[in-house]
Amino acid sequence: MDTENTQRRAPLSQHTIGPFFPPNLFNQVDNDLTRVTQDAAPTSKGEPFVFRGLVMKEDHIPVPNMILELWQADAYGKFRHPLDPDHAEADPDFLGWGRAWTTDEGAFTFHSVRPGVYFEDNQARAPHLNVIIMGAGLMRPVSTTLFFPEAEEDNAKDPVLNLLPPEMRHRLVMRADGDQDGVPAYRFDFLLRGSRDEETPFFET
Amino acid sequence: MRDPASPLIYDPWPKGVQPDVPIEGYPNTWTFTPSQPAIQKPLTRTEATGPAKLWAKLTCGENDLATTASGKRAMGQYIRISGQILNEDGRPVPNAIVELWQANAAGRYSHAHDDSKAPLDPNFLGNGRVMSDENGQYSFFTIKPGAYPVPVKDAWWRPPHVHFSVLGPSTLSRLVTQMYFPGDPMNEWDRILNSINDPDARKRLVASQVHPSQETDELLGYKHDIVLRGRFATPEA
Repeated sequence: MDTENTQRRAPLSQHTIGPFFPPNLFNQVDNDLTRVTQDAAPTSKGEPFVFRGLVMKEDHIPVPNMILELWQADAYGKFRHPLDPDHAEADPDFLGWGRAWTTDEGAFTFHSVRPGVYFEDNQARAPHLNVIIMGAGLMRPVSTTLFFPEAEEDNAKDPVLNLLPPEMRHRLVMRADGDQDGVPAYRFDFLLRGSRDEETPFFET
Repeated sequence: MRDPASPLIYDPWPKGVQPDVPIEGYPNTWTFTPSQPAIQKPLTRTEATGPAKLWAKLTCGENDLATTASGKRAMGQYIRISGQILNEDGRPVPNAIVELWQANAAGRYSHAHDDSKAPLDPNFLGNGRVMSDENGQYSFFTIKPGAYPVPVKDAWWRPPHVHFSVLGPSTLSRLVTQMYFPGDPMNEWDRILNSINDPDARKRLVASQVHPSQETDELLGYKHDIVLRGRFATPEA
């Protein structure tokens, strides 16, 4: 019934988000993936963690005003989205998405709960965070996937991490970074541009 | 019935549609852009999914940029920008988060990082956020932005444009883009717009003007459809 007037359309081109993305489009807890509304309590399911780090450009110079968006599965490895076959079992109190921007020192912080392992096409996906970064100078977002340092066994079998040559894989693993307010912290510093041996590996989108 | 929020196929970006970098006179497009090619990755669940009910988290409904809370009006030519959020099948994308921000009529952003000499307008913050309706429709009431010079050595000018950020049904349909106004000769000189090689793709970033008889007496209308990546596996019979 809804077929007649549909026709193939080409997607619009991406452009840089520029330097002027409005601060008042950010709300207090946008960087907290564990809250489904501004006022909601954090989900009670899963192990909380803090994810923090820097965004740096060429020559390891930290950059302010960069925008990061994070997307991940819940504590059971489910996505609250119709394309997850198990989405009916997803934690209704976990949003799984957050947005942060970097301070004058180039630093960002997110709050979340550790994502679970899940199976897709009979392969186990290690716990992971999907990150996109936008900002002035980036004409299109860059995208990558980060892994947890103590999940060595899961990481070793992860089909996406294994797309990288073995010597590069550790460069998508966060490092343990003490704790913040009693919650374990992980750190990852993004280097947008550098030598092949230093630059953060990014994935095609 | 197919879930309109869940495309299954994400074709590679067509040639010439994505911007080419670095851009002359925009040195940051060099120092911020990865030197290594992006790693190819198959489409998996984690990319094909994205946040549901994001409207419960991000305040939507700010569709009037030209009027303050106390009823004061911004300076400038009043316009309405409206259109549909669609996927590559031409199907409406409902419940997309649509964020818009722009310079004021003098070409200045209400943002701490804009140190332009052009005046601020106390009645214009220049940003809003709405959710597309069940037909994918969105609409903003605003003013036409001014052009402004890019503050680099040998300054060049940006034509009037508005910024869009759209959060659709998946991580892969995330789109950040800019919209231009029809008939402005500065469009042809714009280094950002010209970083798109395909002339048709450039044209798709230019809105079309609505005949004034089809709008209220108060404003001029512009129509701009926003097509996100993603389509369905098979066409419906």
